[in-house]
Amino acid sequence: MTPLVWLCRRETLRVSKLWTQTVLAPVISSILFILVFGLSLGGRINHVSGVEYDVFIVPGLITMGMVQAAYANNASSIFQARFDRYINDVLSAPMPTWQMNAGYVIGGVFRALLIGGSLLVLAWLLVDVPVANPFALIAAIGLGLLLFASLGVVVGIYAESWDFTTFINNIVILPLVFVGGVFYSVEVLPSPWEELSHFNPVFYLVNAVRFGFLGESDVSIWLSLGVTAALAVPVFLWAQHLFASGKRLKP
Amino acid sequence: MVPGWRSCVDSLDSVFRENSPALELRGLTKHYDDGTVALEDFDLEIPAGAFFGLLGPNGAGKTTLISAVCNLLRVTSGDIRVFGEPHDSMAARSWVGLAEQDINLDRFLTVHETLVYHGGYFGVSEPDERAEELIEAFGLESKRDTRAPRLSGGQRRRLLLARALMHRPRLVILDEPTAGVDFELRQELWRYIRQLHAEGTTILLTTHYLEEAEELCDEIALIRDGHLIARDSSLALREHFGVERLQDVYVKAMAS
Repeated sequence: MTPLVWLCRRETLRVSKLWTQTVLAPVISSILFILVFGLSLGGRINHVSGVEYDVFIVPGLITMGMVQAAYANNASSIFQARFDRYINDVLSAPMPTWQMNAGYVIGGVFRALLIGGSLLVLAWLLVDVPVANPFALIAAIGLGLLLFASLGVVVGIYAESWDFTTFINNIVILPLVFVGGVFYSVEVLPSPWEELSHFNPVFYLVNAVRFGFLGESDVSIWLSLGVTAALAVPVFLWAQHLFASGKRLKP
Repeated sequence: MVPGWRSCVDSLDSVFRENSPALELRGLTKHYDDGTVALEDFDLEIPAGAFFGLLGPNGAGKTTLISAVCNLLRVTSGDIRVFGEPHDSMAARSWVGLAEQDINLDRFLTVHETLVYHGGYFGVSEPDERAEELIEAFGLESKRDTRAPRLSGGQRRRLLLARALMHRPRLVILDEPTAGVDFELRQELWRYIRQLHAEGTTILLTTHYLEEAEELCDEIALIRDGHLIARDSSLALREHFGVERLQDVYVKAMAS
């Protein structure tokens, strides 16, 4: 096995050892959203974009759960490894830097997929969510997770404290997700909020995932995938640059 | 190139590498971002198979030197070679084992996992077998499945050393391995280290215990403020400084 496989195994082992915190807790909080918003408000809001409301919110909630997990996993795993300095075991190893970056990114993706898979199964028990375009869904989730897992790596490398990693989540990621059309179609927003929503990168990701599930979206799937890819690739390369240069990782 | 020549050149190359020093530093300089000069134009050569001691006060540059060799810091300038290979090459990385001064064990892993994963990162072909071998050698059998934070100080220190040896390195770097450990454990660690050296491993040891350096090392280098002050065997150093004890050599060298 290559060092990359071992690093992936280490990252996934951490997720499985802490499964109550890394998987169970985010699944419960996301499923509560489906129960509270979907089942309670679903009776009052008939349809959004021709889809029942409790079905409409599921793709956005799955996206929200997954991107937060991909980010939080890597930000905390790398910050902890830097803080306790056991990251030196990886940095001194005969492992190309692209494998270090890929190993951590895959760890975050693994946790996000566990959460996304669990949420989908639970959602299917509650509501009837179709998978209209599986290839679009795979592309959207792949690019979205690459973006947020890489962002977690970057923040984990730059962070000076635990608070900083949660600050980015609470001040940047969560608000962008909430106003990115998880609970509503931006078409119902008055001007200028509808136009402003188009400057939110998470809006494109939520819509790409929604298109994969429901076959409908506020914008073109190609535009959604293009915007997500245009963000994911530079952030991934930024994380790679940090490993290759040693900046922030090595004094 | 003619195939025969190719193999001849390869053989000569491998002979050359076999005869290369374990560690070669040329003009090594490290300036930290805050302006601290940890090492300045530092030259050092450690022959293969040596038991080499590096002595100096806190802040002399010992840990900086070690971190540079192990690719744990960004060198300002200079050249580092390990058995003739650039220190950042994959081969050189696999030849170096480091036991750091501070305990830096992965809090999520057990003793067994710590060793196995380290072996995996360093390309050990059968990490499970090697891990079991080291767990037995270091008397950690009863703690095999215990996570690092639940080990005693002595057990953690032993695990650090076992982890450094997991991939059978040709050069083992021990950064104050006996700092803060009791007399019994110190004796035990000395025994492991001596055995390792007897098996042909090159050892680079930093320590604040002068008697430890005198007892273990063939050669000793004294460094201060990022510069090499003196380097020789303990006996030769004592003769050179005209004193009876290594402690007096140290005091004179650091005051000079």
